[in-house]
Amino acid sequence: MNARPLPWAGALLGGLFAAFLLLPTLVLLTRGLGADFLPTLRSPAVLDALRVSLWTTMVTLVITVLTGTPLAYLLARRDFPGRALLDALLDLPVVLPPVVAGLGLLLTFGRSGLLGPGLELAGISLAFSPAAVVLAQLFTAAPFYLRAAKAGFAAVDRDAEAAALIDGAGPWRAFRFVTWPLAFPFLLEGLVLTWARALGEFGATILFAGSLQGQTRTVTLAIYSALDSDLGPALVLSAVMVVVAFSVLLTVRLLAARRGDGRPS
Amino acid sequence: MNRWLLLTTLILLPTAGAANLTVFAASSLTDAFTEIGRTFDARTGHRTTFQFAGSQVLRTQLAAGARADVFASASDAQFTPLAGLLGPRAVLARNRLTVIAPRNNPKVQTVRDLAGAGVRLVLAAPNVPVGDYSRRMLGAVDRAGTYGPDFSRRALGNVVSEESNVRQVALKVSLNEADAAVVYASDVTPALKKTVRVVPLPSRFNQLADYPIGTLRASANGDAARAFVAFVTGREGQAILRRWGFLSP
Repeated sequence: MNARPLPWAGALLGGLFAAFLLLPTLVLLTRGLGADFLPTLRSPAVLDALRVSLWTTMVTLVITVLTGTPLAYLLARRDFPGRALLDALLDLPVVLPPVVAGLGLLLTFGRSGLLGPGLELAGISLAFSPAAVVLAQLFTAAPFYLRAAKAGFAAVDRDAEAAALIDGAGPWRAFRFVTWPLAFPFLLEGLVLTWARALGEFGATILFAGSLQGQTRTVTLAIYSALDSDLGPALVLSAVMVVVAFSVLLTVRLLAARRGDGRPS
Repeated sequence: MNRWLLLTTLILLPTAGAANLTVFAASSLTDAFTEIGRTFDARTGHRTTFQFAGSQVLRTQLAAGARADVFASASDAQFTPLAGLLGPRAVLARNRLTVIAPRNNPKVQTVRDLAGAGVRLVLAAPNVPVGDYSRRMLGAVDRAGTYGPDFSRRALGNVVSEESNVRQVALKVSLNEADAAVVYASDVTPALKKTVRVVPLPSRFNQLADYPIGTLRASANGDAARAFVAFVTGREGQAILRRWGFLSP
């Protein structure tokens, strides 16, 4: 660390920029956590939005862990033809604009989409259902878990696994009691990031799942639709999102510290 | 001295002659106003830019201080609350409702089917002008008693999504995601006709939508803004609006 005084121009520019980054969040908090906070929080529109968001993101997380963990393990540990290409392509949803993701989902799973007729025959109708919300979140958010889990599995000391296998543990027990606990802080961090991204999902959801209170209208969609009429619910939900975002940051910091990867916490 | 005069004239001329006009207009006006804007610009040399969105969105933005020169709304409900910011009100057009369904989806054939079991209906949200008119139309069916007194309750129970503007409503039907939707007659454009069909809506249930237009008092281009309103309500503007399915007031 350098103890010399900062040049004043640098301090001014840096300070202005920091204020620019922090001010909108502070304004949201002060406006949202006003006197009407609790009554507005208890209004049906707000409660429904929170319920839909909580419920759909939890399902997204469960599917992410169940399907993302084996895929991440394969990508981190096994070599197969096209592995590097697949690895790179699976990051695509992270950089894709969400509304493009929504259009892709619509053209794939929609009624007139690629898989639509087949799904229809099977009696599965995704459009405008909470399942569509989950698919949108899964598509845009799960790659965050995939990345973290891959890094986690790659960082596990292979000697520890080998020792467990020599000591008579089967491959499953070695994974369950050695690999999984060692990779766990990575997985948890990936899961928290996935949750945050899923919670903030907007573009893909509004295009693919529509917007109906209590069914598909998540917190972000509720903020958008409330903006047209009564600002109250939008402010309260925004304040809730700021608090959630802050908790997510704190959790990620704590996890990184626990992982002990040398980053300052 | 003469050189200064020339320079000043050169700098001032473009701004004095041609204005950059910002028009906030209801989503349903998208096609008609885009054509009107092109004709108006060609005629006057002004440069008109449009922001199309649900009237309720534009109203919120204007109330929050958004800068625009003209506001055209699809209902008075989203226009009169801004009366303090706006100049005199004129009616630019009228519109009717229509029920649409996907071309290759036979589920909805008549208005009665909107309340049928398992029908996926998409409407605009109640604060969107067309969403408000749609609910009034359902209420009118209730009062007529033709399809039972709880028709609108059953139809509203079929609503699977409430969209924020009429073009999003139409999109859901043209993608065959919804079985039916209520939009304006003017939204059934040649492009949309390729994928949707019109379900007959008896005129005694239909609602007439008045489209108010006004200039913003805070506009820096007052003359150009008033010229735009005059063009829209004039012979040429009305002809374009009629061609896009609107009724003249």
